[in-house]
Amino acid sequence: MDSPAANAAFAKQIGLTFPLLSDMNRKMLKTYGILKGYNVQDETYEWALRANIIIDKQGIIQFVEEGDSAVDPNTALTMCTTLHKKDAAK
Amino acid sequence: MKHTIALGLLVAATLAAAPVARHVGKSQVAKMTLKVGDPAPEFTLLSDQWKAVKLSDYRGKKNVFLAVYVLAFTGG
Repeated sequence: MDSPAANAAFAKQIGLTFPLLSDMNRKMLKTYGILKGYNVQDETYEWALRANIIIDKQGIIQFVEEGDSAVDPNTALTMCTTLHKKDAAK
Repeated sequence: MKHTIALGLLVAATLAAAPVARHVGKSQVAKMTLKVGDPAPEFTLLSDQWKAVKLSDYRGKKNVFLAVYVLAFTGG
């Protein structure tokens, strides 16, 4: 689990301009169905999936990508550009 | 140049390391419950500036790009 302090150091190091968020209590991950439980030798462990999610200004999900395909952000970025163009055309 | 991404949110929600395949017994197939067109569930997460960030903070203002990273290698 990356704490806000660890995220702050990382954000500063690479000069990020957007917030890095920590789901310390795993609530968001559970709500979004990203946290998954696995049984390993009679113990249950939980960890998150890799995912890209795009939510528009109205709070509607416009794009969802999970697992290995979400490692490459290009599809999601293309979706961002499309959304941005739609907003600009309004 | 106008930036195409209004906002990027990186959820550095790292848990344990990836499973070692040979030890995995019954593994639950991961399936997200979200669908395109659904209203995004509200969340509040702690930012790297120790501020509570809500999804609804951006309603009507910005599009939100949530990138969920497992093991983000932030050094934390």
